[in-house]
Amino acid sequence: MKSLKKVRIIVLMTFMMSLLASTANAATPYESYTINSQGQDIRSIAGFVYEGSITGLDLESGALVRPESLFITADGMIYIADAGNNRIVQLNKQHQYVRTIGDAEGPGKLSEPKGVYVKEDGTIYVADTKNGRIVIFNKDGQFEKEFLKPESPLIGSTFSYSPSKIILDKRDYMYVVSDGNTQGLIQLDPTGQFKGFYGANHVGFSWSRLLIRLIATESQQQKIATVRPAEFSNLDIDKEGFMYTTTIGEAFNQIKRLSPVGVDTLNIGMQRQYGDFYSAGPFSMPSFIGVSVDQNGIITALDLQTSKVFQYDKLGNFLFAFGGVGEQRGMFTTPADLAQTADGDIYVVDRGRNTIEVFRKTPFAELVQKASTLYVDGRYDEAKEMWAEVIRLNSNYEMAYQAIGKALYKEEKYKEAMEYFKLASARGDYSMAFKEYRKELIKENFAVVAIGIIVLFILLRIYIPKLTRWLARKVKEKSKQQLNAGAQPAVQAVAKEGETV
Amino acid sequence: MSPFVMIHKIIFRPFDFFEDIQSPGMVRIKQAVALIICAYIARVISIYLLGFSFETREAYQISILQEAIWIFIPWFTWCVAHWAVAAILDGEGKFVEIVYGSAYALVPYIILIIPVTLLTQFLALDEAGIVNLLTYGIYAWVIWLFLLKVKVLHNFDLPKTLFISLLSIIAVLILWFVCILLYGLANQFVNFLLDIVKELRLRG
Repeated sequence: MKSLKKVRIIVLMTFMMSLLASTANAATPYESYTINSQGQDIRSIAGFVYEGSITGLDLESGALVRPESLFITADGMIYIADAGNNRIVQLNKQHQYVRTIGDAEGPGKLSEPKGVYVKEDGTIYVADTKNGRIVIFNKDGQFEKEFLKPESPLIGSTFSYSPSKIILDKRDYMYVVSDGNTQGLIQLDPTGQFKGFYGANHVGFSWSRLLIRLIATESQQQKIATVRPAEFSNLDIDKEGFMYTTTIGEAFNQIKRLSPVGVDTLNIGMQRQYGDFYSAGPFSMPSFIGVSVDQNGIITALDLQTSKVFQYDKLGNFLFAFGGVGEQRGMFTTPADLAQTADGDIYVVDRGRNTIEVFRKTPFAELVQKASTLYVDGRYDEAKEMWAEVIRLNSNYEMAYQAIGKALYKEEKYKEAMEYFKLASARGDYSMAFKEYRKELIKENFAVVAIGIIVLFILLRIYIPKLTRWLARKVKEKSKQQLNAGAQPAVQAVAKEGETV
Repeated sequence: MSPFVMIHKIIFRPFDFFEDIQSPGMVRIKQAVALIICAYIARVISIYLLGFSFETREAYQISILQEAIWIFIPWFTWCVAHWAVAAILDGEGKFVEIVYGSAYALVPYIILIIPVTLLTQFLALDEAGIVNLLTYGIYAWVIWLFLLKVKVLHNFDLPKTLFISLLSIIAVLILWFVCILLYGLANQFVNFLLDIVKELRLRG
């Protein structure tokens, strides 16, 4: 009987242990952090948590093979560029199969499409990478037309055209990323005519290059590989028509917001490092390969190097990071692209594991995004309450202190603003608040300050000269005494020297 | 002579000061040591007093020990290296005079750095020009006193003063390099001996 009891206890214990283990599953497989003003990672509440995966195994479409990209429309329809199966798969909001596009024989047959874009009226634009063309399907999924390699003297005959990403602006102009092209985005008009290269990256100044140019002979210089500007890897467009691009092969400003004339407006006059900072170990830099921007201008970008997704506010301030390299759900082996729904849930395509991982936005992220949107628009007072809530949830969130400080500054509560700026170590803002506070203090205590200055002036004018005169007299007396006292040993020393001679 | 008399002298009549310390029985090494410690204390106090908006380092990045090293070591190596260089190139100054003079040359820094740092408590960042000007002024004064010391103590003319000062700085760097090298070699040697002992113990 006793042994039976023991067994029962053991069984009960194991059952309870398994219960404990199942509760631990709620944790994210990655660490969540924010970055403080010194560039250090500070633990934070997760902004995004793993929700589920789309593998296609349980769908009528069959499993996805090497998916490259996806597009989510405003009403939640998901279009997946299923490159390995040479097709576009459409799913609805509930991740149920709707239809397949581009797998039928005929002119619309796709070959490893790497990019897809769906216009508001339902027209589907596909970057048909291996066929080297842009294919347009109408909203019923019927082949409509194709645009082959654009003709232009600017492009040249040796140009290899492999469109991988495509997007449309309000005028229906197409912007195409072509793999390996360093001249910028290819701009095509609605009839497929080449309109020019857009927003090319520039080659920066480099001392080593200058040195080589000065020293090396012409034949040596010819052997050195020519430096080309970095190439774009992905793009997105916001509702105001600004183009968001990611660049690979650069250590700074990998994310850009290009104005309609192709000028970067996100990092004006700055060299900003996006992604994780590599301060130790083998030098590597983030290579961003995916970008998505929401209606408030919050930028979400995907880094292949760390397999992490980074989220930034409209000004490029770090908000959240999630994901990482791994086989677990919620991690990626070879991520390829990302997209977000209207609610802000993020879908990441993992080409390596043939899945699409879905991440749900947490209430904390919702709060921070809302607050930062208001903050970026300069509506500090409206954002203040939200930031206070952010601090209540996570007192390490430095940006919140600065934001509240700005709100208090606007409310002319300079002393309190100074405290918050101090907590955020925002020295410039602190100094500005301090200046106002000082002005206020002087105004309030004008009598005291004025009298103080007068007293100080009198002291300096009358008593300091008196003191110095007194000191000088003392010094003179002392030195005289010393001279008298010092005369004797000096004579002795001379006498000693005389002896040795 | 009383240190206050000497401080008064180096501030208002530096030429006389360096002339005077060459007469016998004037140099007190104790005073020099006290002054260099005062310079260190002034430095530490000025770090504490610095206004928040003027700080360039976080509190955890400041080490009191490191600050001490950054004052004592350069000052002492300067004395040694400068004495060595000057002695080779017909300088008349004695080592104790150099030590004494170098310590007193820091007097403007000791006296003025604290009031100047106090200003940062009342000024905003866009008025940083005032503080910077005053701080550079203090440094310039100290450097001028150092040069004057070289000139008067060794009885050099101006070009030679500058030349010797430059050589002394190079000598300081060489001295540091040799010290680091020696430290590295000694470290290796000690490790080697320890390894041999270990080896013998394991085999024996």
